Amino acid sequence: MYMSIKELVAASTTTDTPVSELMIQQEMSKTSSSREEVWSAMERNLDVMEAAVKRGVEGDGVFSTTGLTGGEAVLLKKYREQGHTLSGDIMMEAVQNAISTNEVNASMGVVCATPTAGSTGTLPGVLFVIKDRLNLDHEQMVRFLFTAGAYGMVIANNAGIAGATGGCQAEVGSASAMGAAAAVEAAGGTAEQSSEALAMAISNLLGLVCDPVAGLVELPCVKRNAIGAGNALISADMALAGLTNKIPADEVIEAMDKVGKGLPKALRETGLGGLAATPTGIQMKMRIFGNTVKVGE
Amino acid sequence: MAVNYKSVFDIIGPVMIGPSSSHTAGAVAIGRAANRIFHDKPTNVIIHYYESFAETHKGHGTDYAIISGILGFEPDDSRVPNAIPIAEKQGIKVTFIEESEDSPIGHPNTAIIELSNEQRKVIVSGCSIGGGTIEIREIKMDGFDIKPKGPLPILLMQGHDDDHRSVSAKLATVTSVNDEATYHTADRTLYEYDLENRLKNHDLDDLAKKHSQLVYL
Repeated sequence: MYMSIKELVAASTTTDTPVSELMIQQEMSKTSSSREEVWSAMERNLDVMEAAVKRGVEGDGVFSTTGLTGGEAVLLKKYREQGHTLSGDIMMEAVQNAISTNEVNASMGVVCATPTAGSTGTLPGVLFVIKDRLNLDHEQMVRFLFTAGAYGMVIANNAGIAGATGGCQAEVGSASAMGAAAAVEAAGGTAEQSSEALAMAISNLLGLVCDPVAGLVELPCVKRNAIGAGNALISADMALAGLTNKIPADEVIEAMDKVGKGLPKALRETGLGGLAATPTGIQMKMRIFGNTVKVGE
Repeated sequence: MAVNYKSVFDIIGPVMIGPSSSHTAGAVAIGRAANRIFHDKPTNVIIHYYESFAETHKGHGTDYAIISGILGFEPDDSRVPNAIPIAEKQGIKVTFIEESEDSPIGHPNTAIIELSNEQRKVIVSGCSIGGGTIEIREIKMDGFDIKPKGPLPILLMQGHDDDHRSVSAKLATVTSVNDEATYHTADRTLYEYDLENRLKNHDLDDLAKKHSQLVYL
Protein backbone atom coordinates (compact mmCIF):
# COMPACT_ATOMS: atom_id res chain seq x y z
CA MET A 1 0.00 0.00 0.00
CA TYR A 2 1.19 3.52 -0.75
CA MET A 3 1.53 5.20 2.63
CA SER A 4 3.02 8.53 1.55
CA ILE A 5 2.74 10.96 -1.34
CA LYS A 6 6.47 10.56 -1.83
CA GLU A 7 6.11 6.79 -2.38
CA LEU A 8 3.20 7.30 -4.74
CA VAL A 9 5.05 9.89 -6.83
CA ALA A 10 8.23 7.80 -6.88
CA ALA A 11 6.34 4.69 -8.05
CA SER A 12 4.58 6.65 -10.77
CA THR A 13 7.77 8.36 -11.95
CA THR A 14 10.12 5.36 -11.94
CA THR A 15 7.65 3.01 -13.65
CA ASP A 16 6.19 5.70 -15.91
CA THR A 17 2.70 4.66 -14.79
CA PRO A 18 -0.10 7.10 -13.99
CA VAL A 19 -1.28 7.17 -10.38
CA SER A 20 -4.76 6.08 -11.51
CA GLU A 21 -3.25 2.84 -12.80
CA LEU A 22 -1.22 2.29 -9.61
CA MET A 23 -4.44 2.72 -7.64
CA ILE A 24 -6.34 0.21 -9.78
CA GLN A 25 -3.56 -2.34 -9.35
CA GLN A 26 -3.39 -1.82 -5.59
CA GLU A 27 -7.17 -2.22 -5.30
CA MET A 28 -7.12 -5.43 -7.36
CA SER A 29 -4.43 -6.95 -5.21
CA LYS A 30 -5.86 -5.79 -1.85
CA THR A 31 -9.36 -7.04 -2.55
CA SER A 32 -8.51 -10.00 -4.82
CA SER A 33 -10.79 -8.46 -7.42
CA SER A 34 -10.61 -8.42 -11.20
CA ARG A 35 -9.92 -5.23 -13.11
CA GLU A 36 -13.50 -5.33 -14.42
CA GLU A 37 -14.96 -5.51 -10.88
CA VAL A 38 -12.89 -2.58 -9.64
CA TRP A 39 -13.52 -0.53 -12.77
CA SER A 40 -17.29 -1.08 -12.84
CA ALA A 41 -17.61 -0.23 -9.14
CA MET A 42 -15.97 3.12 -9.88
CA GLU A 43 -18.21 3.64 -12.91
CA ARG A 44 -21.25 3.26 -10.64
CA ASN A 45 -19.88 5.95 -8.32
CA LEU A 46 -19.32 8.25 -11.30
CA ASP A 47 -22.96 7.72 -12.34
CA VAL A 48 -24.17 8.70 -8.86
CA MET A 49 -22.02 11.84 -8.92
CA GLU A 50 -23.27 12.85 -12.35
CA ALA A 51 -26.91 12.34 -11.29
CA ALA A 52 -26.47 14.52 -8.18
CA VAL A 53 -24.85 17.35 -10.17
CA LYS A 54 -27.86 17.34 -12.51
CA ARG A 55 -30.53 16.80 -9.84
CA GLY A 56 -29.69 19.99 -7.96
CA VAL A 57 -30.40 22.23 -10.97
CA GLU A 58 -33.60 20.58 -12.23
CA GLY A 59 -36.65 22.82 -11.96
CA ASP A 60 -36.39 25.03 -8.88
CA GLY A 61 -33.66 22.81 -7.42
CA VAL A 62 -33.70 20.78 -4.22
CA PHE A 63 -34.34 22.01 -0.67
CA SER A 64 -33.51 20.59 2.73
CA THR A 65 -36.34 19.92 5.18
CA THR A 66 -35.04 22.67 7.50
CA GLY A 67 -35.14 25.31 4.76
CA LEU A 68 -31.56 26.38 5.57
CA THR A 69 -30.22 25.41 2.15
CA GLY A 70 -31.47 24.70 -1.34
CA GLY A 71 -32.27 26.30 -4.67
CA GLU A 72 -29.00 28.21 -4.93
CA ALA A 73 -27.40 26.01 -7.59
CA VAL A 74 -30.33 27.06 -9.80
CA LEU A 75 -29.61 30.72 -9.07
CA LEU A 76 -26.01 30.21 -10.16
CA LYS A 77 -27.13 28.46 -13.35
CA LYS A 78 -29.39 31.40 -14.27
CA TYR A 79 -26.66 33.89 -13.41
CA ARG A 80 -24.16 32.07 -15.60
CA GLU A 81 -26.60 32.13 -18.51
CA GLN A 82 -26.37 35.93 -18.53
CA GLY A 83 -22.67 35.60 -19.33
CA HIS A 84 -21.28 38.22 -16.99
CA THR A 85 -19.61 36.20 -14.25
CA LEU A 86 -16.63 37.91 -12.66
CA SER A 87 -14.45 34.83 -12.23
CA GLY A 88 -15.25 33.22 -15.58
CA ASP A 89 -17.77 30.61 -16.60
CA ILE A 90 -15.58 27.58 -15.90
CA MET A 91 -15.00 28.64 -12.31
CA MET A 92 -18.68 29.34 -11.74
CA GLU A 93 -19.73 26.11 -13.37
CA ALA A 94 -17.45 24.28 -10.92
CA VAL A 95 -19.06 26.22 -8.09
CA GLN A 96 -22.54 25.41 -9.40
CA ASN A 97 -21.75 21.68 -9.63
CA ALA A 98 -20.30 21.66 -6.13
CA ILE A 99 -23.26 23.47 -4.61
CA SER A 100 -25.75 21.39 -6.55
CA THR A 101 -24.24 18.18 -5.20
CA ASN A 102 -24.19 19.39 -1.60
CA GLU A 103 -27.75 20.67 -1.83
CA VAL A 104 -28.77 17.17 -2.91
CA ASN A 105 -26.85 15.80 0.08
CA ALA A 106 -28.52 18.24 2.50
CA SER A 107 -31.92 17.30 1.14
CA MET A 108 -31.16 13.64 1.97
CA GLY A 109 -30.70 12.68 -1.64
CA VAL A 110 -28.25 10.04 -2.87
CA VAL A 111 -24.61 11.09 -3.17
CA CYS A 112 -21.20 9.48 -3.44
CA ALA A 113 -19.11 10.60 -0.45
CA THR A 114 -15.76 11.92 -1.78
CA PRO A 115 -14.20 11.54 0.73
CA THR A 116 -17.10 12.53 3.00
CA ALA A 117 -20.71 13.57 2.48
CA GLY A 118 -20.04 17.05 3.88
CA SER A 119 -17.36 17.53 1.22
CA THR A 120 -19.18 15.58 -1.46
CA GLY A 121 -19.52 18.48 -3.94
CA THR A 122 -15.85 19.43 -4.23
CA LEU A 123 -14.66 16.58 -6.46
CA PRO A 124 -17.65 16.62 -8.87
CA GLY A 125 -17.26 20.40 -8.96
CA VAL A 126 -13.81 19.90 -10.43
CA LEU A 127 -14.43 16.79 -12.52
CA PHE A 128 -17.41 17.91 -14.58
CA VAL A 129 -15.85 21.19 -15.67
CA ILE A 130 -12.51 19.73 -16.66
CA LYS A 131 -14.45 17.04 -18.52
CA ASP A 132 -15.58 19.76 -20.94
CA ARG A 133 -12.42 21.84 -20.70
CA LEU A 134 -10.10 18.92 -21.49
CA ASN A 135 -12.59 16.84 -23.51
CA LEU A 136 -12.20 13.92 -21.12
CA ASP A 137 -13.80 10.70 -22.29
CA HIS A 138 -15.61 8.27 -19.98
CA GLU A 139 -12.44 6.28 -19.27
CA GLN A 140 -10.49 9.40 -18.31
CA MET A 141 -13.27 10.45 -15.93
CA VAL A 142 -13.17 7.09 -14.18
CA ARG A 143 -9.39 7.38 -14.00
CA PHE A 144 -9.74 10.84 -12.44
CA LEU A 145 -11.62 9.20 -9.56
CA PHE A 146 -8.97 6.50 -9.06
CA THR A 147 -6.26 9.17 -8.96
CA ALA A 148 -8.24 11.29 -6.50
CA GLY A 149 -8.82 8.18 -4.38
CA ALA A 150 -5.12 7.28 -4.33
CA TYR A 151 -4.12 10.68 -2.98
CA GLY A 152 -7.12 10.73 -0.66
CA MET A 153 -6.13 7.41 0.91
CA VAL A 154 -2.73 8.78 1.85
CA ILE A 155 -4.34 11.85 3.43
CA ALA A 156 -6.96 9.75 5.26
CA ASN A 157 -4.44 7.27 6.67
CA ASN A 158 -1.95 9.94 7.75
CA ALA A 159 -4.21 12.73 8.96
CA GLY A 160 -7.89 11.78 8.75
CA ILE A 161 -10.96 13.05 6.94
CA ALA A 162 -13.51 13.66 9.72
CA GLY A 163 -14.65 17.16 10.69
CA ALA A 164 -15.13 15.91 14.24
CA THR A 165 -11.43 15.08 14.56
CA GLY A 166 -9.74 17.45 12.09
CA GLY A 167 -12.15 20.28 11.26
CA CYS A 168 -13.35 21.21 7.76
CA GLN A 169 -9.76 21.32 6.49
CA ALA A 170 -9.84 17.51 6.82
CA GLU A 171 -13.05 17.28 4.76
CA VAL A 172 -13.23 20.05 2.17
CA GLY A 173 -9.45 20.54 2.42
CA SER A 174 -8.81 16.87 1.66
CA ALA A 175 -11.43 16.81 -1.12
CA SER A 176 -9.88 19.93 -2.66
CA ALA A 177 -6.40 18.39 -2.53
CA MET A 178 -7.66 15.18 -4.14
CA GLY A 179 -9.37 17.19 -6.87
CA ALA A 180 -6.28 19.31 -7.50
CA ALA A 181 -3.98 16.30 -7.78
CA ALA A 182 -6.35 14.39 -10.07
CA ALA A 183 -6.98 17.45 -12.26
CA VAL A 184 -3.23 17.77 -12.83
CA GLU A 185 -3.01 14.15 -14.00
CA ALA A 186 -6.07 14.60 -16.24
CA ALA A 187 -4.43 17.68 -17.80
CA GLY A 188 -1.28 15.70 -18.60
CA GLY A 189 0.83 16.90 -15.68
CA THR A 190 3.32 14.74 -13.83
CA ALA A 191 2.78 12.98 -10.50
CA GLU A 192 5.29 15.43 -9.03
CA GLN A 193 3.06 18.30 -10.19
CA SER A 194 0.04 16.52 -8.72
CA SER A 195 1.77 16.35 -5.36
CA GLU A 196 2.55 20.08 -5.55
CA ALA A 197 -1.09 20.84 -6.40
CA LEU A 198 -2.18 18.73 -3.43
CA ALA A 199 0.26 20.47 -1.11
CA MET A 200 -0.87 23.93 -2.25
CA ALA A 201 -4.57 23.03 -1.99
CA ILE A 202 -4.24 21.86 1.62
CA SER A 203 -1.93 24.72 2.56
CA ASN A 204 -4.54 27.20 1.31
CA LEU A 205 -7.28 25.74 3.49
CA LEU A 206 -5.19 24.82 6.55
CA GLY A 207 -7.01 25.60 9.76
CA LEU A 208 -10.50 25.65 8.28
CA VAL A 209 -12.90 24.90 11.15
CA CYS A 210 -15.99 22.68 11.20
CA ASP A 211 -18.81 24.83 12.59
CA PRO A 212 -22.12 23.60 11.19
CA VAL A 213 -25.15 25.67 12.19
CA ALA A 214 -27.48 23.50 14.30
CA GLY A 215 -25.04 20.65 13.67
CA LEU A 216 -26.49 20.24 10.19
CA VAL A 217 -24.45 19.61 7.03
CA GLU A 218 -25.87 22.77 5.45
CA LEU A 219 -24.45 26.12 6.64
CA PRO A 220 -21.65 26.73 5.84
CA CYS A 221 -20.90 23.26 4.43
CA VAL A 222 -22.66 23.66 1.07
CA LYS A 223 -20.71 26.79 0.08
CA ARG A 224 -17.44 25.52 1.55
CA ASN A 225 -17.56 23.04 -1.31
CA ALA A 226 -17.59 25.96 -3.72
CA ILE A 227 -14.28 27.11 -2.28
CA GLY A 228 -13.03 23.51 -2.25
CA ALA A 229 -13.67 23.16 -5.99
CA GLY A 230 -12.34 26.63 -6.85
CA ASN A 231 -9.23 26.10 -4.75
CA ALA A 232 -8.62 22.74 -6.44
CA LEU A 233 -8.71 24.30 -9.91
CA ILE A 234 -6.48 27.20 -8.84
CA SER A 235 -3.98 24.86 -7.18
CA ALA A 236 -3.94 22.56 -10.21
CA ASP A 237 -3.32 25.51 -12.53
CA MET A 238 -0.54 26.81 -10.29
CA ALA A 239 1.15 23.39 -10.28
CA LEU A 240 0.79 22.99 -14.06
CA ALA A 241 2.37 26.44 -14.44
CA GLY A 242 5.37 25.14 -12.51
CA LEU A 243 4.70 26.74 -9.14
CA THR A 244 5.73 24.68 -6.14
CA ASN A 245 4.58 24.68 -2.54
CA LYS A 246 8.13 24.55 -1.12
CA ILE A 247 6.83 22.58 1.89
CA PRO A 248 6.50 18.96 0.65
CA ALA A 249 3.05 17.33 0.45
CA ASP A 250 3.67 14.73 3.17
CA GLU A 251 4.77 17.44 5.61
CA VAL A 252 1.69 19.50 4.74
CA ILE A 253 -0.53 16.49 5.50
CA GLU A 254 1.25 16.02 8.83
CA ALA A 255 0.75 19.71 9.58
CA MET A 256 -2.96 19.37 8.83
CA ASP A 257 -3.19 16.48 11.28
CA LYS A 258 -1.50 18.51 14.00
CA VAL A 259 -3.61 21.61 13.33
CA GLY A 260 -6.74 19.46 13.51
CA LYS A 261 -5.73 17.95 16.83
CA GLY A 262 -5.10 21.47 18.14
CA LEU A 263 -8.59 22.74 17.26
CA PRO A 264 -10.90 23.20 20.24
CA LYS A 265 -13.87 20.84 20.43
CA ALA A 266 -16.27 23.73 19.67
CA LEU A 267 -14.73 23.93 16.18
CA ARG A 268 -14.81 20.21 15.43
CA GLU A 269 -18.35 19.39 14.30
CA THR A 270 -20.14 19.97 17.57
CA GLY A 271 -22.17 22.91 16.25
CA LEU A 272 -21.10 24.94 19.31
CA GLY A 273 -18.56 27.37 17.83
CA GLY A 274 -17.83 29.53 14.79
CA LEU A 275 -20.86 30.36 12.63
CA ALA A 276 -22.97 27.94 14.68
CA ALA A 277 -22.43 30.14 17.75
CA THR A 278 -23.46 33.43 16.05
CA PRO A 279 -26.79 34.93 17.19
CA THR A 280 -28.39 34.02 13.87
CA GLY A 281 -26.92 30.51 13.95
CA ILE A 282 -28.30 29.98 17.46
CA GLN A 283 -31.74 31.29 16.41
CA MET A 284 -31.79 28.80 13.54
CA LYS A 285 -30.90 25.96 15.87
CA MET A 286 -33.69 26.93 18.28
CA ARG A 287 -36.20 27.23 15.46
CA ILE A 288 -35.34 23.73 14.24
CA PHE A 289 -34.83 21.86 17.52
CA GLY A 290 -36.68 23.98 20.10
CA ASN A 291 -35.63 26.47 22.75
CA THR A 292 -34.09 23.97 25.15
CA VAL A 293 -31.06 23.15 23.01
CA LYS A 294 -27.49 23.61 24.14
CA VAL A 295 -26.04 26.68 22.42
CA GLY A 296 -22.46 26.97 23.58
CA GLU A 297 -19.76 25.14 25.48
CA MET B 1 0.19 4.29 11.94
CA ALA B 2 -3.26 2.74 11.94
CA VAL B 3 -4.35 1.95 8.41
CA ASN B 4 -8.09 2.42 8.46
CA TYR B 5 -8.64 3.23 4.82
CA LYS B 6 -7.67 0.13 2.87
CA SER B 7 -9.76 0.51 -0.28
CA VAL B 8 -10.13 3.30 -2.83
CA PHE B 9 -13.89 2.94 -2.28
CA ASP B 10 -13.47 4.04 1.33
CA ILE B 11 -12.46 7.41 -0.18
CA ILE B 12 -14.52 7.51 -3.39
CA GLY B 13 -17.69 6.24 -1.71
CA PRO B 14 -19.85 5.06 -0.14
CA VAL B 15 -22.90 5.84 -2.21
CA MET B 16 -25.28 6.93 0.49
CA ILE B 17 -28.35 8.89 1.52
CA GLY B 18 -27.18 12.29 2.88
CA PRO B 19 -26.41 14.29 4.87
CA SER B 20 -23.26 13.05 6.70
CA SER B 21 -20.83 10.24 5.94
CA SER B 22 -19.58 10.04 9.51
CA HIS B 23 -22.85 10.73 11.31
CA THR B 24 -25.21 8.99 8.86
CA ALA B 25 -23.40 6.39 6.70
CA GLY B 26 -20.91 5.62 9.51
CA ALA B 27 -23.77 5.33 11.98
CA VAL B 28 -25.43 2.78 9.70
CA ALA B 29 -22.14 0.86 9.69
CA ILE B 30 -21.88 0.86 13.51
CA GLY B 31 -25.49 -0.36 13.69
CA ARG B 32 -24.74 -3.12 11.17
CA ALA B 33 -21.76 -4.26 13.24
CA ALA B 34 -24.02 -4.49 16.31
CA ASN B 35 -26.58 -6.42 14.24
CA ARG B 36 -23.94 -8.97 13.19
CA ILE B 37 -22.68 -9.36 16.74
CA PHE B 38 -26.15 -9.81 18.26
CA HIS B 39 -27.26 -12.07 15.41
CA ASP B 40 -30.86 -12.15 16.62
CA LYS B 41 -33.86 -9.86 16.88
CA PRO B 42 -33.53 -7.44 19.80
CA THR B 43 -36.54 -6.27 21.80
CA ASN B 44 -34.70 -3.39 23.44
CA VAL B 45 -32.13 -1.01 21.92
CA ILE B 46 -30.34 1.69 23.91
CA ILE B 47 -27.92 4.05 22.14
CA HIS B 48 -25.48 6.18 24.12
CA TYR B 49 -24.01 9.12 22.18
CA TYR B 50 -20.83 10.99 23.08
CA GLU B 51 -19.21 14.32 22.04
CA SER B 52 -19.94 15.27 18.39
CA PHE B 53 -22.49 12.44 18.13
CA ALA B 54 -24.25 13.70 21.28
CA GLU B 55 -24.30 17.31 20.04
CA THR B 56 -25.32 16.76 16.42
CA HIS B 57 -27.12 13.40 16.09
CA LYS B 58 -30.51 15.05 15.55
CA GLY B 59 -29.36 17.19 12.62
CA HIS B 60 -27.47 14.39 10.92
CA GLY B 61 -30.14 11.72 11.03
CA THR B 62 -27.83 9.61 13.19
CA ASP B 63 -30.81 8.12 15.08
CA TYR B 64 -32.51 6.53 12.12
CA ALA B 65 -29.14 5.71 10.54
CA ILE B 66 -27.98 3.65 13.50
CA ILE B 67 -31.36 1.88 13.77
CA SER B 68 -31.17 1.15 10.01
CA GLY B 69 -27.91 -0.63 10.61
CA ILE B 70 -29.35 -2.58 13.53
CA LEU B 71 -32.16 -3.67 11.18
CA GLY B 72 -29.51 -4.71 8.63
CA PHE B 73 -30.11 -2.00 5.99
CA GLU B 74 -27.39 -0.71 3.63
CA PRO B 75 -26.47 3.05 3.74
CA ASP B 76 -28.22 3.74 0.40
CA ASP B 77 -31.42 1.81 1.26
CA SER B 78 -34.41 4.10 0.74
CA ARG B 79 -35.93 2.78 4.01
CA VAL B 80 -33.08 4.42 6.01
CA PRO B 81 -35.01 7.61 6.96
CA ASN B 82 -37.98 5.52 8.18
CA ALA B 83 -35.99 3.03 10.24
CA ILE B 84 -37.29 4.08 13.67
CA PRO B 85 -41.01 3.54 12.93
CA ILE B 86 -40.09 0.32 11.11
CA ALA B 87 -38.23 -0.92 14.23
CA GLU B 88 -41.06 0.10 16.56
CA LYS B 89 -43.57 -1.73 14.37
CA GLN B 90 -41.41 -4.83 14.86
CA GLY B 91 -41.80 -4.44 18.62
CA ILE B 92 -38.30 -3.03 19.26
CA LYS B 93 -38.10 -0.43 22.02
CA VAL B 94 -35.59 2.30 21.10
CA THR B 95 -33.93 4.79 23.48
CA PHE B 96 -31.32 7.46 22.71
CA ILE B 97 -29.17 8.98 25.47
CA GLU B 98 -26.91 12.04 25.01
CA GLU B 99 -23.99 11.51 27.39
CA SER B 100 -22.23 14.64 28.60
CA GLU B 101 -18.81 13.14 29.40
CA ASP B 102 -16.03 12.41 26.91
CA SER B 103 -16.13 9.22 24.87
CA PRO B 104 -14.98 6.19 26.92
CA ILE B 105 -13.30 4.86 23.76
CA GLY B 106 -11.48 8.09 22.94
CA HIS B 107 -13.18 9.36 19.77
CA PRO B 108 -15.58 12.32 19.27
CA ASN B 109 -17.96 10.33 17.06
CA THR B 110 -18.82 7.57 19.51
CA ALA B 111 -21.97 5.48 19.85
CA ILE B 112 -22.33 2.69 22.38
CA ILE B 113 -25.15 0.33 21.46
CA GLU B 114 -26.87 -2.01 23.91
CA LEU B 115 -28.97 -4.70 22.24
CA SER B 116 -31.01 -7.15 24.28
CA ASN B 117 -33.88 -9.60 24.25
CA GLU B 118 -34.98 -12.21 26.80
CA GLN B 119 -32.07 -14.52 25.99
CA ARG B 120 -29.08 -12.26 25.60
CA LYS B 121 -27.50 -8.84 25.83
CA VAL B 122 -24.52 -7.37 23.95
CA ILE B 123 -22.83 -3.97 24.17
CA VAL B 124 -20.92 -2.64 21.15
CA SER B 125 -18.76 0.50 21.29
CA GLY B 126 -18.08 1.98 17.87
CA CYS B 127 -16.74 5.20 16.49
CA SER B 128 -17.15 6.78 13.08
CA ILE B 129 -13.79 8.05 11.93
CA GLY B 130 -14.80 9.83 8.71
CA GLY B 131 -16.09 9.13 5.22
CA GLY B 132 -18.33 6.32 6.47
CA THR B 133 -15.44 4.24 7.81
CA ILE B 134 -15.78 2.98 11.40
CA GLU B 135 -13.83 1.32 14.17
CA ILE B 136 -15.18 -1.10 16.76
CA ARG B 137 -13.23 -0.65 19.98
CA GLU B 138 -15.15 -2.72 22.53
CA ILE B 139 -17.62 -5.60 22.44
CA LYS B 140 -19.24 -7.14 25.50
CA MET B 141 -20.90 -10.43 24.60
CA ASP B 142 -21.44 -13.87 26.13
CA GLY B 143 -19.32 -12.99 29.16
CA PHE B 144 -16.38 -11.73 27.09
CA ASP B 145 -15.07 -8.16 27.16
CA ILE B 146 -13.34 -7.83 23.80
CA LYS B 147 -11.19 -4.79 23.10
CA PRO B 148 -10.02 -4.70 19.48
CA LYS B 149 -7.61 -1.99 18.29
CA GLY B 150 -10.49 -0.71 16.15
CA PRO B 151 -9.89 -0.96 12.39
CA LEU B 152 -11.99 -3.48 10.47
CA PRO B 153 -12.17 -6.17 9.23
CA ILE B 154 -12.33 -8.16 12.47
CA LEU B 155 -13.20 -11.85 12.77
CA LEU B 156 -14.36 -13.29 16.11
CA MET B 157 -14.59 -17.03 16.69
CA GLN B 158 -15.71 -18.94 19.77
CA GLY B 159 -14.16 -22.37 19.89
CA HIS B 160 -11.17 -24.46 20.91
CA ASP B 161 -7.52 -24.72 20.05
CA ASP B 162 -8.20 -26.91 17.03
CA ASP B 163 -10.78 -24.44 15.72
CA HIS B 164 -8.18 -21.69 16.08
CA ARG B 165 -5.64 -23.73 14.11
CA SER B 166 -8.16 -24.41 11.37
CA VAL B 167 -9.30 -20.78 11.12
CA SER B 168 -5.70 -19.53 11.11
CA ALA B 169 -4.80 -21.96 8.33
CA LYS B 170 -7.73 -20.79 6.21
CA LEU B 171 -7.02 -17.10 6.87
CA ALA B 172 -3.37 -17.55 5.91
CA THR B 173 -4.46 -18.43 2.38
CA VAL B 174 -6.50 -15.25 1.88
CA THR B 175 -5.14 -12.39 4.03
CA SER B 176 -2.49 -11.46 6.50
CA VAL B 177 -3.62 -11.24 10.13
CA ASN B 178 -2.41 -7.96 11.64
CA ASP B 179 -3.22 -8.83 15.22
CA GLU B 180 -4.66 -11.67 17.29
CA ALA B 181 -6.07 -11.83 20.79
CA THR B 182 -7.59 -14.57 22.92
CA TYR B 183 -10.27 -14.08 25.59
CA HIS B 184 -11.48 -16.58 28.20
CA THR B 185 -14.51 -17.09 30.38
CA ALA B 186 -14.84 -19.98 32.88
CA ASP B 187 -15.79 -22.46 30.20
CA ARG B 188 -15.23 -20.82 26.83
CA THR B 189 -12.58 -19.24 24.64
CA LEU B 190 -12.94 -16.53 22.00
CA TYR B 191 -10.36 -15.71 19.36
CA GLU B 192 -10.09 -12.28 17.73
CA TYR B 193 -8.37 -11.81 14.37
CA ASP B 194 -7.71 -8.32 12.99
CA LEU B 195 -7.43 -8.81 9.25
CA GLU B 196 -5.57 -6.84 6.59
CA ASN B 197 -7.99 -7.51 3.74
CA ARG B 198 -11.75 -8.02 3.55
CA LEU B 199 -12.82 -11.63 3.14
CA LYS B 200 -14.59 -12.74 0.01
CA ASN B 201 -18.08 -14.15 0.58
CA HIS B 202 -17.11 -17.66 -0.46
CA ASP B 203 -14.15 -17.70 1.94
CA LEU B 204 -16.40 -16.52 4.75
CA ASP B 205 -18.94 -19.21 3.84
CA ASP B 206 -16.19 -21.85 4.01
CA LEU B 207 -15.26 -20.66 7.51
CA ALA B 208 -18.89 -20.45 8.66
CA LYS B 209 -19.54 -24.05 7.56
CA LYS B 210 -16.92 -25.37 9.97
CA HIS B 211 -17.31 -22.86 12.80
CA SER B 212 -20.85 -21.99 13.82
CA GLN B 213 -20.08 -19.15 16.24
CA LEU B 214 -18.38 -16.68 13.93
CA VAL B 215 -18.79 -12.91 13.88
CA TYR B 216 -17.33 -11.04 10.90
CA LEU B 217 -17.19 -7.26 11.02
